[in-house]
Amino acid sequence: MALPAGDIAVHDETADASLEPEARKKIAGRSPTRIAFDRLRKDPIAVICFAIVLLFAVIALFADQINSLVGVNTEVVRASERVNLVTLLPLDGPPNHGFDPEHPFGVAPGDGTDNFAVWTKGCQTSLFLATMAAVLSTTIGVALGLLAGFLGGIVDSIISFMIDLFLTFPFLVGALALAPIINDRWATEPEKLRDVSFWALVAILTIFGWMTVARLVRGEVLALREREFVKAARVIGVPTRRILVREMLPNLIAPIIISFSLGLPAYVSAEAGLSYLGIGIIGRESWGRTIEQATPWWEQYPQFLLAPVVGIAVLVVALNLLGDAIRDAFDPKTRR
Amino acid sequence: MFSFLVKRILSGSLIVVLVSVMIYALFWYGPKSPALELCRRDTNNRCTPAKLVEFEDRLGYSNPIYEEYGKWAKGLVADRTIIHGTSEYDCPAPCLGISYRDKSLVTDQFKERFPVTVSLAVGASALYLLIGVTVGVLAARRRGSVADKALVASTLVFSSIPYYLVALLSFLILTLSTSVFPEAKYVPFLDDPLAWFSGLLLVWLVMGLYGATAYTRYSRGSMVEALGEDYVRTARAKGLRMRTVVTKHALRSALVPVITIFGLDVAFLLSGTVFTEKIFSLEGIGKWGIDAVNIKDLPVVQATTLVLAVSVVVMNIIVDIVYSILDPRVRLA
Repeated sequence: MALPAGDIAVHDETADASLEPEARKKIAGRSPTRIAFDRLRKDPIAVICFAIVLLFAVIALFADQINSLVGVNTEVVRASERVNLVTLLPLDGPPNHGFDPEHPFGVAPGDGTDNFAVWTKGCQTSLFLATMAAVLSTTIGVALGLLAGFLGGIVDSIISFMIDLFLTFPFLVGALALAPIINDRWATEPEKLRDVSFWALVAILTIFGWMTVARLVRGEVLALREREFVKAARVIGVPTRRILVREMLPNLIAPIIISFSLGLPAYVSAEAGLSYLGIGIIGRESWGRTIEQATPWWEQYPQFLLAPVVGIAVLVVALNLLGDAIRDAFDPKTRR
Repeated sequence: MFSFLVKRILSGSLIVVLVSVMIYALFWYGPKSPALELCRRDTNNRCTPAKLVEFEDRLGYSNPIYEEYGKWAKGLVADRTIIHGTSEYDCPAPCLGISYRDKSLVTDQFKERFPVTVSLAVGASALYLLIGVTVGVLAARRRGSVADKALVASTLVFSSIPYYLVALLSFLILTLSTSVFPEAKYVPFLDDPLAWFSGLLLVWLVMGLYGATAYTRYSRGSMVEALGEDYVRTARAKGLRMRTVVTKHALRSALVPVITIFGLDVAFLLSGTVFTEKIFSLEGIGKWGIDAVNIKDLPVVQATTLVLAVSVVVMNIIVDIVYSILDPRVRLA
């Protein structure tokens, strides 16, 4: 079954007949995704942001390799070798001494862990968790939105009510209530707690993140459902599941990609925020926790705080701007 | 209008009830008993299993959940007496229970903390509209100019930065390092209006300026759309001044989408601005909530959730009514 006329560049056959064969080739049909991608490549902001995001992704993927290449690790050493036990400030490197090649970002005051290693691992946690949460919440949101919009009736009422309910339910209170409950459950098994707290955070972010996608998709489906190609498919007896997957889903590519790309920065920011409040991930490095640790040291050792702050700010801004650029690229109303 | 209100209040109450049941159940069925914390504190960390059972009985955790929830919900409208071991506590309606931390009435604690959060919300939301809408409308009128483009780009970047980073850095740089602003503190408005204002000024500015960026974008967008409408051209054609057209005709319809977001934002502000209160050390609803969750103080957590759910529902209804006033095409049904 052919896709609907979302492709703007598709030309009428009869009108083409008068054109030269060469000209006809030039105005070949392009899919909306193709058009959006071509627009994105010409957008300098999108390209720059993509490069920044890619850089962070490489750091996240190869955090361990980068750390061993630089010769640092997150293990806690004997603190006395790296910090002054009276002031608790580092013996070498910032803030009181120059650049220390052994520890590019310096070491943490107090326990003397290497800031660079914690930073790269924090980047890993952040991006991995945000990607997981964005994938899950988009999948669930799309599935529920499709069902609500297409089936209508009681299913739609229930799902719409759930959307309203979860939008009302306070994210922070939910996270605050859930996190300690999960952590207490596995508090005696640190090995398991590490994974459980990771997936628990993914679950919390997903539970509070699927609604916007679902609402968007539901709205789109409500409009698509009345279109001729869907009616035609129904008339010739295509099963509902096939209509949803083969007819509806390809037309929902734009809202899906947009929600995914705008979900990523929101989850990166939420993860660090929760860790900052002390209810985030346990057993893994997190930028949010470094910020919380570094806040009291601000006046003596500002570099300690600035590394994670710059990390979060640059990554989140780049992801957000990229998401906005993607949204503009998919929007036929914006002209460039 | 009347049937609309009844319908919305009914569905709103259902949401409030469901949210409070969910929070109740989360604590009830959580792996760690909410009684444990209290038991540990009262026995100086020597909480034996037998003692724990005694505390659970005392707090009602050995009764069925619906019975205890029923008692809690009934307390909202009727006076109740809470028996805590040997001592009895009178809890006049609206009774939200007694805090496990210091056994004081949750309603009293709420009365103490709510003004802080309300003060923050009032200042911040006033700045949202004042700065956001004004700048947005001005930008829409000069659409395409260098100033407009710079403004759009800078609000986009600024609002992309997570809020807590902006608030934290403002606090560290403006209060701790340079003391441009004094340390934020809450003084009741009626005691000393000037101290109330100066104590919260930085917090308002941080919240307001950050939030206003979103309003600038919304109001600019809807204003650009409104200025392109036929009725605006008609108004211009019949000789009205641009100023009148903008304020009386275009702004009215441009405000409709802005009001929706504003309603929800006010609701979230009222339920406590957790990051703001933590960073600036203000004792409002948000900080009350996190502190309570950390020590599993269920009655307090219930209270903070209730505030949020009620304010979201009420603000949504108010928004719908304001809609129908701003846009005569909207009929409430």
